Amino acid sequence: MIQLFHVKKSYPGDAPVLDDITLRVEKGEFVWLTGPSGAGKSTLLKLLFCAESPTSGQILVGGRNIGRITQGAVPYLRRNIGVVFQDFKLLDNRTVVENVGYALEVLGASDSEIRERSLKRLEQVGLKHKAASLPRRLSGGEQQRVAIARALVNEPTILLADEPTGNLDPSLTDSILQLLFDANARGTTVIVATHDRTLLSRYRRRTVALEKGKLVFDA
Amino acid sequence: MIAHVAWRLSRRAAVNLWRAPLPSLVSVLTISLSLFIGASFVLGLFAARALLTSWGAQAGVTLYLDKQTDDDKARLLAQQIRLQNPEVEVVYVDRAMALKRLRGDLGDMAGALDGLAQNPLPPSLEITPRVTLPPSGVRILAAQLGTVAGVSEVDYGREWLDKLEALARGLRVFGAGALFTVLGAALLVVANTIRLAVYARRDEIEIMKLVGATDGYVRAPFLMEGALQGLLGAAIALGAVVAVQKWLLPRASQAFAFAAGISAPNLAPEHWGALLGAGAVVGLFGSWLAVARFLKT
Ligand SMILES: Nc1ncnc2c1ncn2[C@@H]1O[C@H](COP(=O)(O)OP(=O)(O)OP(=O)(O)O)[C@@H](O)[C@H]1O
Ligand SMILES: [Mg+2]
Repeated sequence: MIQLFHVKKSYPGDAPVLDDITLRVEKGEFVWLTGPSGAGKSTLLKLLFCAESPTSGQILVGGRNIGRITQGAVPYLRRNIGVVFQDFKLLDNRTVVENVGYALEVLGASDSEIRERSLKRLEQVGLKHKAASLPRRLSGGEQQRVAIARALVNEPTILLADEPTGNLDPSLTDSILQLLFDANARGTTVIVATHDRTLLSRYRRRTVALEKGKLVFDA
Repeated sequence: MIAHVAWRLSRRAAVNLWRAPLPSLVSVLTISLSLFIGASFVLGLFAARALLTSWGAQAGVTLYLDKQTDDDKARLLAQQIRLQNPEVEVVYVDRAMALKRLRGDLGDMAGALDGLAQNPLPPSLEITPRVTLPPSGVRILAAQLGTVAGVSEVDYGREWLDKLEALARGLRVFGAGALFTVLGAALLVVANTIRLAVYARRDEIEIMKLVGATDGYVRAPFLMEGALQGLLGAAIALGAVVAVQKWLLPRASQAFAFAAGISAPNLAPEHWGALLGAGAVVGLFGSWLAVARFLKT
């Protein structure tokens, strides 16, 4: 499903952010991506949805070499990938339900379908009552849940979540992670970046650890 | 699916205009100002050209006939020219008449003519075009009449026409160049104004792209907004041009004698269409340029 071969990412003038990463994630797997702050977790996820391109090395996603795809093919790749951004990336001038529906809108779904599916997702993250609010009126944890609802709304084949529980209290963390496990159970390949080690011990899954851009652990 | 997506995008464009009226207003006013300057410029050129043409028309053609030509023959020739060129007026000036005119022109010095043994002036035909001819038209007419049998000399103010023609040509070249510059500058200003408005929404563009929107989908509402702003701007510019023509120029020509000859041609419906079209194109193209920069990343 996802393969990286000797991937290196560096910004001019700095030590490489990712250095010689080789990694294979099977279809339907659930993977924790962990490591200290600045280890390169977010960067690795960005490479997978083409927000950054590798300095060298090859990346295959769903059998496609994304180093080679054209600019025009990127949107279609992204439609199969749900992303929960570390900084949420919600639109401030759209209501919560509009934000969630955004991922469906670009697919050309009908208004009623968009609304129905968005509300269903919001209900799952416990925010149906906030559907008409604007994101900035929401708490950090609530915004995070809206971001998760958006990432899941079009049933992506791959879900990339960057610190999806960073702003949540323990009980909410459990229920949100349950959403990710449910998506995984429905067949979605899930990669979750987190530096919260307690999660790893509580939910034992394959764990990939980065440190200073190097892959130091995979089991 | 196309229909409801188009409907959604236009709705979005309308909502965006509504939610952020100030940047849109700035774009609209920039477009209207640019178009107003451009349109005034074009109308000024039209007016200048009309003025040149009317000067050209005042230059008639005089055909000097052989001195021996008698009245009958001259009248026959005049009739012949009238038949061949229905669009000109032909007046026969016989030798006595020519002398009388010369006396009139000389005024006090007319006595000098008394010493002449015989009338030195040839008979002539004065040709005046009934319609306003451009300088080149006058030239062609003169060349054609010069070949008529019995005509010894053609006079049509050649130098004067040459100068007028050069002036008209210069005006055309200068006008085209200046219009190009004005429109180019307008487009840049408009694109920059729209870019400022788009800059405020770069997050939106980024997020749209991250959730899988194609460039076309991201661009569409901006283009619609641009076209709409362009149309609005053009409408304002049109209003201003009409106001200047119907209100300001008549008053100006009353106040200043030199403005009396300046009558800008009236705007025909196709000019309205051209102006509105230009507005839409400038708005569209300006938005395209503005959005292109943010789509790259
Ligand atoms: N655009 C950029 N230009 C230069 N350096 C960058 C850029 N983006 C990221 N980096 C650097 O890459 C390194 C890894 O960043 P990244 O965001 O991937 O870390 P992370 O593992 O996600 O950390 P955190 O747990 O704090 O989110 C950091 O040192 C960061 O400074
Ligand atoms: Mg990060």
